Amino acid sequence: MKTVLVIFGGRSPEHDVSIVSAIAAVIKPLELLNEYKVEPVYIAKNGAWYWNDKLKDVSLYRTGQIDQLMSKGNSPWLEFDGGLQLVKQQSLGRVRKQRIDIVFPVMHGSHGEDGSLMGLLEMAGVPYVGCDVPSSALAMDKVLAKQVAAANGIATGTWVSFTKQELQSDQQSVKARIGSLSYPLFVKPAHAGSSIGITKVANVSELDNALEVAAHYDTKIIVEEAVPNLIEVTLPIMGNSEPRPALLEQPLTDADTFFDFETKYMHGGKKKMPGKKGGKLGAHGYSNLPAKLPGDLYKQAETLGLNVYRALGCSGTARVDMLIDSKAEKVYFNEINPMPGSLYAHNWRAAGVSGTELVKQLLNLAEERYAEVEKVQTSFSTNFLKQF
Amino acid sequence: MKRFLSIYYPTFPAAIVYMLQSTEYDTKAYLAWLHRTSDFSVVMHRRTLDRTTVAKAFLIFMTMGIVLQIVIAATCVVLGYIEGSALTTFTGIFLLLSAPIVWAYLVIVPMFFAKHLIINPKLERQRRETKRILAEHKGLKIAVAGSYGKTTMKELLATVLAEGKKVAATPGNKNVATAHYQFARGLEGDEDALVIEFGEGHPGDVRRFTETVQPDIAVITGLAPAHLDQYGSIEEAGKDIFSLTEALKPSDVYVNLESDAALKHIKPEYVGFSSDGLDGWRAGKATIDLDGTRFELKKGKKIIHVNSQIIGEHLIGVLSATAIIANRLGMSTSDIEAGFAHTKPYEHRMQPYRLGGAWVIDDAYNGNIQGIEAGTKLLASLKATRKIYVTPGLVDQGRETTAVHEKMGRLIANAKPDIVVLMKNSVTDAITRGLNEAGYKSEVIIQHDPLTFYTNLDQFVAAGDVVLLQNDWTDNYQ
Repeated sequence: MKTVLVIFGGRSPEHDVSIVSAIAAVIKPLELLNEYKVEPVYIAKNGAWYWNDKLKDVSLYRTGQIDQLMSKGNSPWLEFDGGLQLVKQQSLGRVRKQRIDIVFPVMHGSHGEDGSLMGLLEMAGVPYVGCDVPSSALAMDKVLAKQVAAANGIATGTWVSFTKQELQSDQQSVKARIGSLSYPLFVKPAHAGSSIGITKVANVSELDNALEVAAHYDTKIIVEEAVPNLIEVTLPIMGNSEPRPALLEQPLTDADTFFDFETKYMHGGKKKMPGKKGGKLGAHGYSNLPAKLPGDLYKQAETLGLNVYRALGCSGTARVDMLIDSKAEKVYFNEINPMPGSLYAHNWRAAGVSGTELVKQLLNLAEERYAEVEKVQTSFSTNFLKQF
Repeated sequence: MKRFLSIYYPTFPAAIVYMLQSTEYDTKAYLAWLHRTSDFSVVMHRRTLDRTTVAKAFLIFMTMGIVLQIVIAATCVVLGYIEGSALTTFTGIFLLLSAPIVWAYLVIVPMFFAKHLIINPKLERQRRETKRILAEHKGLKIAVAGSYGKTTMKELLATVLAEGKKVAATPGNKNVATAHYQFARGLEGDEDALVIEFGEGHPGDVRRFTETVQPDIAVITGLAPAHLDQYGSIEEAGKDIFSLTEALKPSDVYVNLESDAALKHIKPEYVGFSSDGLDGWRAGKATIDLDGTRFELKKGKKIIHVNSQIIGEHLIGVLSATAIIANRLGMSTSDIEAGFAHTKPYEHRMQPYRLGGAWVIDDAYNGNIQGIEAGTKLLASLKATRKIYVTPGLVDQGRETTAVHEKMGRLIANAKPDIVVLMKNSVTDAITRGLNEAGYKSEVIIQHDPLTFYTNLDQFVAAGDVVLLQNDWTDNYQ
C-alpha cells in the first residue's frame, strides 16, 4: 500500500479553504479507496508543520481544538534520503518515521500553490500531484500568466500591472497608466486566489480604496478592463501531455457582482439567485453546469482553456477562468488556478469522474510525470574539476 | 487483548442489550451472535441501543446483576484475606472476572420467563381479538404471503383497489401477529377490502395467521430460501406458506409461476400469474427503465394499460395479478389504470434515486436470490457509463448458503457490471467464486466497513453511473 502525504493549510489567506479542500476532496476519498495510507501534514498560519492522524478531522479546526493539538505536538522534519521521509520526535525518546511515496499538496495561494512547495518536493525527489514548479509559479502570477498566454496568441483583454512599491513611490505614473483603461475596472492582487482582495471599480472615485485593498494582499497589482456583456466561465482540466477538460461551468452572478470569496466559500457555497425570491441555491448551486452558451462559444472557451493549460506547461490539474463578451462572441483568458478549491470535484462528478476516481487519477498522473522526468539525464561527467 | 478486555468496558451491558434487541429477543439468534463476538466494543456499529422500556429493564437487570456479583466477589476476596483462605480468595477473583460473561448468559432467564408468562399469553389474547374483529368485518380479505415481494404486492393491491374501493392494508412491512392485531383494531368497519401481509419467520406462522384472518383470496408471491435458519429447509417453508391455500377454493388462490421452488406446491386449478399474464389475459408490449414499467394486458378486445413507476421485468406478473384481482372485484379499466398511475417504488425496494448525477437503485430490502436475479437482469438492461453492483450477500440461507451465494456471483457476473463492491463477511468468498466461475474480469472491491461506504456513496459515483444496491446486513450478521 502506497503512502500519500497530504499537505494543507499554509501561510496564505486561503488557509481555511485549503483545509476543507484537503479533508473533503482528497483525504476522505483517498481513505475510502482503501488503497493508500494517508498521512496528513497541516501547515499552520505561522508556517509551522504538524503531522498527526487527528488532523484528518475537520471538526478539529471548526471547534478550535487545533490550537490545543498544536501546543502539544512537535513539528516533524523532512529527510531527503533517496526519497522523502517524514520524521517526528515522540515521547520517551521514540522517533516516528514514515517514508512517503507520493505527495498531494492541497495548498491554495502563496507559499504552497505558487511553486515554492513544489520546489521542495522536487529537491526531495518524490512524485507530487498538480502543476510543477514553473507552471505553478506562472499560474499564480496573474500578470506573468497573461503575458505567457498573450505570447501564445491567446486573448487576455486589456490590463496594466505595477508593483506595490511603484504605487507608493510613483502614484501619478501608475494612475496615468490606469487612466488609459476604460471603466469599470477590476483591481486585483497578482498572486492571491479565491477572489481575495479583488474589487470592482465603477469610477475613478473608487480607485484609491481598491488599490489599497489589493496592495494589502500583494506586492504586485493588476488592473483589468471589465469585459462588457459578461459571461464568466471556468473549466477544470486534468492531464499531463494529453489534458482533458471537465465541464465548462458558468457562475450565476449578474453583471454587477462577480464570483467573489463570499459566493464561493461562505454560506456553504450558496448564493441567492439574483432577482429570485427566497431560497438559496444548493451547494455549488451557484453555477450552470454545463454552461449554457450561445453558438459555438462553449467549444471556443473549451479550446481556449486547453490552450492556456498547454501554454503555461500545466500538468496534473488546473482550472482556467475565462471571460466572455456574449455580444462580440469573444472569449478572454482571465486567470488560471493550479489547485482548484475542493479539486472542483462537483464538476468532475458531473463530467463522469467520481471523487475517488479523481484523486486516484491525479495520483497516477503525478507518478507518470515523475517517471517521465526521471528519464531525463540531469548530470554528466567532465574533467572540469581536474584543472583545480 | 483489547478484544478480551472489551467485556470489562462500562458499555458491555448496553452492548448485550443491543444484541438482544437486534435479534428481537430471540434466544437462539442472540446466543449465536454472543458466541461469535470477540470484541464487544464494536458491536454497536450500524446503530445504537434504542432505549425502550423493555431494553431499559434488561439493562437495569444486567447492570445490577454484575454489580451484585462484584460485591459478592469483593466480599469473598476480603474474607479470604482475613481468614487466610486461598479457596475463598480465588473464588472471589473468579466471580469478579467472570461477572460480565455470567450475566450475558443469565440475562436469558428473564427472557425465558417473559416469553412464556407474559409475551405468549399476550399474543394469544391478541390473536383471539384479531380473529373476532376480522370475522365480524364484511370486507373482502386478501392475504399476501411468500418468501419475497409480499410488501410490494400488498402495496400494489392497496393502491390500485383504492381507486374504486375503500381499502385498508397492513402498514409497511409489518406482518406479524401484533401488527395484525393493531391493524384490526384500527379498522373503521366499512372497508370494502382488507389487504393483509403474512410474514413467515418461524414454522407454523402462516398457518396461524390463516386461521386468525380467514382470508377470501390468497396471493402467494413466491418461494425462495429465506428464514431457513428457522424452517430448516425450503420445503418446510413452502409447506407453511402454502397452508394459506388449504381453506380456499383454488380459483381464489393467485400464485407466482415464476418461482421455481414454488412450482411443486402449485395445483393446476390455482390462478397462476407470470410476466406472460394470467387467467386468459396476455401481457405484452413491455418497456422497463428507470422511469417505471409499462405494458398492456389483453383478453379478447379488452385491454388494460399498466403504467407503474415501480421497476423490474419480474414485477410484470405481480402488476398483472393486481390488475386482474381489481377487475374481478368489479373495478373499471379506467379506474384500474388510474390506480396504477399512483403506484410508486417502495422504500428500499428497487427504489431509484439520483445521487450526484448518477442513478442509484436502492434494493436494500431484497433478501432472496429471486430478487437478486431480477435486480441483476434490470442492471444488465440499463444503459450507463459505468454499472456498479453493491451487496453484502443474503442472510438466513441455512444449508443453502454457499450454493446460493455462488449462484449470486454468477448472476452478478452475467449483468456485466464495471465494478462489483462486496461487503466483507462470511459469504464474500462464495460470491467471489461465483463471479470467477462466470468469468467476471472487471474490478471487484472488497469493503470492510459497509456503513462508511454507504454513507460516502457520493464519493464513488459520477454522472452517467447506475448503481444497484441489493440487500443490507445489520450488526447481528457477519
